[in-house]
Amino acid sequence: MDELELLKRDWQKKDKELPKLSFDEIYNMIWKKSSSIVKWIFLISIIEFALPHIVYFLPSMSKSLAVWKDLGLGNFLLFTNIVQYSVVLFFIFQFYKRYKEISSIDNAKKLLYNILKTRKTVKYYVIFCLSLIFTSFMVMAVGIYLNEDPMAAMGYSYRPDIAPEKLKTTLMATVVALGVVVTLVMGGIYFLLYGILLKKLNKNYKELMDMDI
Amino acid sequence: MEHQFVTELECNQNIVHKVCTLYTNDRDSHKDLFQEITIQLWKAYPKFRGESKFSTWMYRVALNTAITLYRKSKKSVPTQDYESVIFKISADEYDPTEEQQLKLLYNAVRELGDIDKALIFLYLEDKDYREIAETLGITEVNARVKMNRIKNRLKTILNP
Repeated sequence: MDELELLKRDWQKKDKELPKLSFDEIYNMIWKKSSSIVKWIFLISIIEFALPHIVYFLPSMSKSLAVWKDLGLGNFLLFTNIVQYSVVLFFIFQFYKRYKEISSIDNAKKLLYNILKTRKTVKYYVIFCLSLIFTSFMVMAVGIYLNEDPMAAMGYSYRPDIAPEKLKTTLMATVVALGVVVTLVMGGIYFLLYGILLKKLNKNYKELMDMDI
Repeated sequence: MEHQFVTELECNQNIVHKVCTLYTNDRDSHKDLFQEITIQLWKAYPKFRGESKFSTWMYRVALNTAITLYRKSKKSVPTQDYESVIFKISADEYDPTEEQQLKLLYNAVRELGDIDKALIFLYLEDKDYREIAETLGITEVNARVKMNRIKNRLKTILNP
């Protein structure tokens, strides 16, 4: 078939038009998969860090923060904020470091080591965030216990017709229960968000292990 | 090991680029497929024992990856992309009838199924039937029969 011969001739002339990748470009492709996962972990942690600040500007949120002050927990709030900001910034910096490390890695052993390190960092980060949420609720419960008039502190002028002691207990129980629920829900969200990314990273890790380098 | 692999791939990268050209329509998908093939090659590399030539082994892995991905996403079926780099006719050998024929031919090749594409690709790469059969994991007879069928199909497409 003449046409096919024509096609073959033309096809073989195309070599010089093909793109040319350098050694380094090809090299980077092998490692790129892991670095893009770590990049996502890094970005999500930043979004997660920025989000509460955006929420804070909503009026209802600012009002609920005022509750903390009225419960006499203003100092605790300040303290936790300082701790939270420094720890979260520290973690973001860690994620950024992992990302930089993995992006510029040049052998498989180091990559394995770094994947393990990233996994640990993520684990600690999640544990920290969840304990912070849980502790906040517990401290709020203590605040209610120590406050003379928790209902007023929480911005309610309504007074239910039950003994103040009983009211306190009910409020505390509610806050503790809420704390457990919120921690569990956040745990679920973290589990989904980072779980998926970590699963991918683990798969990558296993693939590397299979190559037994 | 990485250095040896990358060096060999660097020397033979044309094979991968050509597979990408045949199975994708734009620059971005070309890049993505190239990377995917590179990763698959790297994963399979420890099992490459040098029984066949490095390039033959590359043809096999690259085509397998392209076919698997192509099957996964049937969405990117040919959109008559005359402008793609590889299918441009060089200006210095411009011949209107030949150009027209080549356009039609490349377009016809694009419309072939994934396996047939692999077959014609190896044919265009000037591989003999033994090597085509070995690369695609079919028998030589089967390769011949399939190739004849493709030739006939192309003929009908060109001369309806």
